[in-house]
Amino acid sequence: MNNPSAATATNVSKIYGHGDSEVRALDNVSVQFETGKFTAIMGPSGSGKSTLMHCMAGLDEMTAGSVTIADIDIASLKDKDLTKLRRDKIGFVFQSFNLVPTLSADENIRLPLLLGNNKGNEEWIQKVINTVHLQDRLTHRPSELSGGQQQRVAVARALASEPAIIFADEPTGNLDSTTGNEILSFMRKAVDELGQTIVMVTHDPVSASYADRIVFLKDGKIAGELLEPTPELVLDYMKKLGH
Amino acid sequence: MLRIALKGILGRKARLVLTSLAVILGTAFLSGTAVFSATLNRTFDNLFSDVFRNVDSYVRSTQVIEADFGAEERQRIPAELIAMIEAVPGVGDVQADIQAFARIIGKDGQPLGSDGAGPPTFGSVGEEFQGALWTISEGRFAAGPTEVVLDEASAKAGKFALNDKVKVVAQAGSREFTLVGIAGYGDVRSPGGATFALFDLATAQEFLAKPGFVDAILISGDGSASDEELAQAINAAIPSSYKTETLTGAQITQETQDQIGSALSFFSILLSTFSYIALGVGSFVIYNVFSISAAQRQRENALLRAIGASKKQVTRALMIESVVVGLFGSTIGFFAGIGLSKGLSALLKAAGIDLPSGDLVVPSSAVINTIVVGLIVTVASAWLPARRAGKVPPLAAMRETAIEVVALTRRRTIFGLVLIALGAASIIAVTNGVSNKWLGLGILFVFSGTITLGPVIARPVALLLGKPAEKFRGVTGTMARQNSARNPKRTSRTASPVLIGVALVTAVAALAASISSQIDGVFTQQFKGDYAINTNARGFGGLSPSLADDINALPEVERATGIGLLTVRIDGRGQNLTTINPATVDGVFDLGLTSGSYADLTPETIFVSQQYAENNNAKLGDTIAVTLADAQVKSLSIAGIYEFDELAGKYTVSRDLTKDTTVITFDLGVYIKVKSGVSAESARTALQAAVDKYGQGTLLSKREYIDSQSGQINQLLGLIYGLLFLSVIIAVVGIIITLLLSVFERQREIGLLRAVGMTKSQVRTTVRWESVITSLLGAVVGIVLGVGLGWVIVYALRDQGLSSFSVPVGTTLSILIMAFVVGVLAAVYPAWRATRVNLLAAITTA
Repeated sequence: MNNPSAATATNVSKIYGHGDSEVRALDNVSVQFETGKFTAIMGPSGSGKSTLMHCMAGLDEMTAGSVTIADIDIASLKDKDLTKLRRDKIGFVFQSFNLVPTLSADENIRLPLLLGNNKGNEEWIQKVINTVHLQDRLTHRPSELSGGQQQRVAVARALASEPAIIFADEPTGNLDSTTGNEILSFMRKAVDELGQTIVMVTHDPVSASYADRIVFLKDGKIAGELLEPTPELVLDYMKKLGH
Repeated sequence: MLRIALKGILGRKARLVLTSLAVILGTAFLSGTAVFSATLNRTFDNLFSDVFRNVDSYVRSTQVIEADFGAEERQRIPAELIAMIEAVPGVGDVQADIQAFARIIGKDGQPLGSDGAGPPTFGSVGEEFQGALWTISEGRFAAGPTEVVLDEASAKAGKFALNDKVKVVAQAGSREFTLVGIAGYGDVRSPGGATFALFDLATAQEFLAKPGFVDAILISGDGSASDEELAQAINAAIPSSYKTETLTGAQITQETQDQIGSALSFFSILLSTFSYIALGVGSFVIYNVFSISAAQRQRENALLRAIGASKKQVTRALMIESVVVGLFGSTIGFFAGIGLSKGLSALLKAAGIDLPSGDLVVPSSAVINTIVVGLIVTVASAWLPARRAGKVPPLAAMRETAIEVVALTRRRTIFGLVLIALGAASIIAVTNGVSNKWLGLGILFVFSGTITLGPVIARPVALLLGKPAEKFRGVTGTMARQNSARNPKRTSRTASPVLIGVALVTAVAALAASISSQIDGVFTQQFKGDYAINTNARGFGGLSPSLADDINALPEVERATGIGLLTVRIDGRGQNLTTINPATVDGVFDLGLTSGSYADLTPETIFVSQQYAENNNAKLGDTIAVTLADAQVKSLSIAGIYEFDELAGKYTVSRDLTKDTTVITFDLGVYIKVKSGVSAESARTALQAAVDKYGQGTLLSKREYIDSQSGQINQLLGLIYGLLFLSVIIAVVGIIITLLLSVFERQREIGLLRAVGMTKSQVRTTVRWESVITSLLGAVVGIVLGVGLGWVIVYALRDQGLSSFSVPVGTTLSILIMAFVVGVLAAVYPAWRATRVNLLAAITTA
């Protein structure tokens, strides 16, 4: 990957409603997410952090601006190509309801590959499965897995197709802190050992401290950045932003 | 609670529409058939009171022979009665009537009217008369032996204009007439689609019947006496030796109306039977929709429970909803039914059955019946889901998703198996000699057992049927397969309507296939010739006996023989005798004589079947008293006994039996053996020329003939399929509704799949295959049940001579293909809805 940026947003705005009832969820946001880095997006609820992620991942349409993922300008893509982009170039981890209940853990992990009729890199997939310690759970259905195990399957799915970027939306929001930390360590390992790029939306300073860099959002605008964060630094910074 | 229930209904209009749709469809057929039957009855009543408006008295013979299927053959009366009646004081105008077989040949040489199960073709009298049945709309009535008048519909169908030459075939042969007039019957172009050729009395007597005889005499009074007095006076004037009766105009009108009424009632019963089947199928759909919607509202109901609503109140809220849906649905269904009845008339008209036009009759019983039945079915279907809804624990309000609870109890399995075992036991008992009545009970048990077991077998069968989808469609196929198996109760409830429809179709098809193959076997055994001339004019007219004689004279033909039917009375009961020509039958049509020879069959003798001889302890030389339609009694001695009675029945007589009587006989088929060395081509040419001369009958090779005989059953099949089509529509709607609700329920899942890269077309594929698997599940189980049911019916009819059972392989295959197509079609709208799922809403709702 020559481009140091896996995903770039340029002057992205997202406006709901018209006239008096107009709400600017994103107001002229420009941001880059570096390849091979773990970035966290933080901000109070309503700051636009989830909207930014949705717009950059091609899940939501932006009102203005442009987004490129792996050098592809997503605004120009039709639904079908956008869907394929999400399938082939982007990995997702959501807060809850991440897995298809009728498929086994193994099928869920390979889901984007299966949808693309793509065998994938078997060596890589095995490596991913080993990294998240799911070897002996592969034939289980989601309903037979614990919450933590389900999120591990979700992380493995996000990694399986070796995407250009992984977006994680509050991936530990529904987990207790021990299990949550476990998931975050896996994500950290994915970046450090497997060379992946992860962007995670969170409001939790501890979770955010696993990242290499934190981008702060407030009222739909970039409010600041923090590199090499620790929980204490994050808390301080948040206070400074007036939380 | 009432307020909550009503708000719940209005709050979700889409759900109300879906639930009501099932009720509407079920009740529409109910009211449609009721309105249609009532309208038809009333119109025919009006038609006949109109037609007999000026008929004050009606004279006819008292001698009637009742044959099978309610048909009757009334003896003719001598024409000399006309003069006798004219002399009675009070009589104004007198008109003799004849109604007999006559077939109008179209300009293309083909007879008008369908040469099959269509309405009959008549020849009759049309003359100027005060109480005329027929009214001339163009030209004038026929006068003299070369003129004819046609009914409006036939004139139009044959594109005949006044002064055209019209060929007509009747008892006395085939003749050409000049068209001098066109007439209507009441306000109808042709009564019930029958064709009519009208002649003057003398021509009608000679050409259609027998000179010197008429069927009935119609009298209109001069106004000096009441109808009753006139009838009495006429009756008194006719000597009792003529064996006649005189009816008043009111009586003959009533009698004709009643006859039509009872003929129509068979039709009405058939229609309403199928509309109740459709409603039964619909009740599954209603039950399913209520179950799913109750499950989807689990959280809402749990919340109500949590804030203090009692179980009863939650249940009651759902019951109130079902009452509203039931009333709403069946009211709309009632009106939809009125539209449907109009559609039914249009359909019959398109099929060539011109029913008299009349105002729509909506009997109050139809209104009440539709709404009450619709309401009861809806409320009954909602009862279980409503009770289940009440049992929701308040805690469920806090649970994340509300998916229908699937608990397959062992109790259900045992109960289902016990029902099936009981059913099987009843059927086995019958095969061991117990009364046939137990078969019905057996079928009922097996069906109920299968429906009970449905949820238990749905999962494994759906998974099995889904295997190919998984193989060919990859992960979308896997998901479709798993989706159809994930909620076996729902899947089986959705498939049940398909199952019932398919089982009935398969059973009927199995019965038809068995009858067909049996007919095939019988004809192959008995028919030894090369060609046959066939007519489908069963029981009314047929081929002139001279056709067989003419063909016998052809140089290409070694031997031809005609087989006919004669209705007589034996031991006070109407019986159909087979008539043969003993001089020509040997070697062409085999009766399987076990004693006697064809030469022994004379106008004084009779052959009986071996079965008859055994049952009645009859032996050669015994006599049987046969009363002919003209009241002559013949004492015939048994001169032969035959084995093959499938076609000939119990009695066979010589066609010469009626030679010196007023009774007319027709041949129903002519069987021909050509001389060896004659080429098929020249034989066919010569035979076709003979057939064309008579303008009637179809020349068929041996194979064609046997196929056409066994193919006749297919006409009946078509009707039954048409009626079962209603149930299929409801089954399809059931699949659509279930899929829609399932798609709604799986919004998040679909949203997730779209997010991680499932294309819209893949979403559609998943829904489509789920639909196909569900539909096939119903079809496969239905076919298994239907073949079993067909076997049971064939077995029950073994005493009626049905001895072999055939599996309808072709129909079974078409059903599977149909089920596949139905699955694909039913999925179109739900699949489209699935692609419209709001992706963001689906993945962000916590």
